[in-house]
Amino acid sequence: MTRLTIACGSLVCAVVAGAMLSSSMRPRAAAVPEAPVTHTVAIDGTQFQPADVAIKPGDSVTWVNRDPFPHTATAGAGAFDSKEIAPGASWTFTAKARGDLAYTCTLHPTMKGTVHVQ
Amino acid sequence: MKLQVFVVAGSLFLPVSFAAAQGVNDAQIASIVVTANQVDIDAGNLAKSKAKNEEVKKFAQTMVTDHTGVNKSATDLVTKLKVTPQDNETSQSLKSGGEKNVAALKGLKGAAFDKAYIDHEVAYHQQVLDAVDKTLIPSASNAELKALLVKVRPAFVAHLEHAKTLQASLGK
Repeated sequence: MTRLTIACGSLVCAVVAGAMLSSSMRPRAAAVPEAPVTHTVAIDGTQFQPADVAIKPGDSVTWVNRDPFPHTATAGAGAFDSKEIAPGASWTFTAKARGDLAYTCTLHPTMKGTVHVQ
Repeated sequence: MKLQVFVVAGSLFLPVSFAAAQGVNDAQIASIVVTANQVDIDAGNLAKSKAKNEEVKKFAQTMVTDHTGVNKSATDLVTKLKVTPQDNETSQSLKSGGEKNVAALKGLKGAAFDKAYIDHEVAYHQQVLDAVDKTLIPSASNAELKALLVKVRPAFVAHLEHAKTLQASLGK
């Protein structure tokens, strides 16, 4: 029933569904904060794929190295630095503040990406 | 002067041999890939110890690490495919060209070494990239071998661009 309410999404749906529920099961009126999401960036073919990711504060980005040699995901001003991510390994960064974090691979300066924390 | 002669010789060497490599089979491609990587690993190992410039040293380490990784992938794949790398004109030419490069580099030191190493890395990656595009990828018949070449190609582009950036900075 709760799932149905969420699936409906609209206020009308919520009200109708809410009216059908017992008072103890009624959905909370206040908006529930969205759960943090983990986004994946593949490092493949000496490229960040996708090069641009848009996330929210609290969300995470996991870089997965699918190349047969190491890479890094290193942002300016010390925002984040994976250090070397070995072949087959991954590394996760959790964003706190909003901002556009441009990053590169220190081993391959042609590789560029940006994490947009919005 | 010695350096200039070497670089010219080096750039004449490869296209001729690669031109003769049209229609190579997968066993020959495997040998060319492994040799091409090994040649750059050998030069990188020398440069790691002899280079003066810190950025050149780091680049050399990246070359050793990356080409070792590519060779491991290539070796794993040919083992799985039960392909025995077959020596051929191109792989032999790459090997002798690499030996000549290392011999020439051993006679240099300091900034002259750095410049010669990086100049060769620019020419070498450009030539290997041309071979990958014009000969190796078009000739590869096994889909996994072709996919491996396609997957590692951007690394060679990144190496070439990195080497060109260093070349420009050393020239200042």
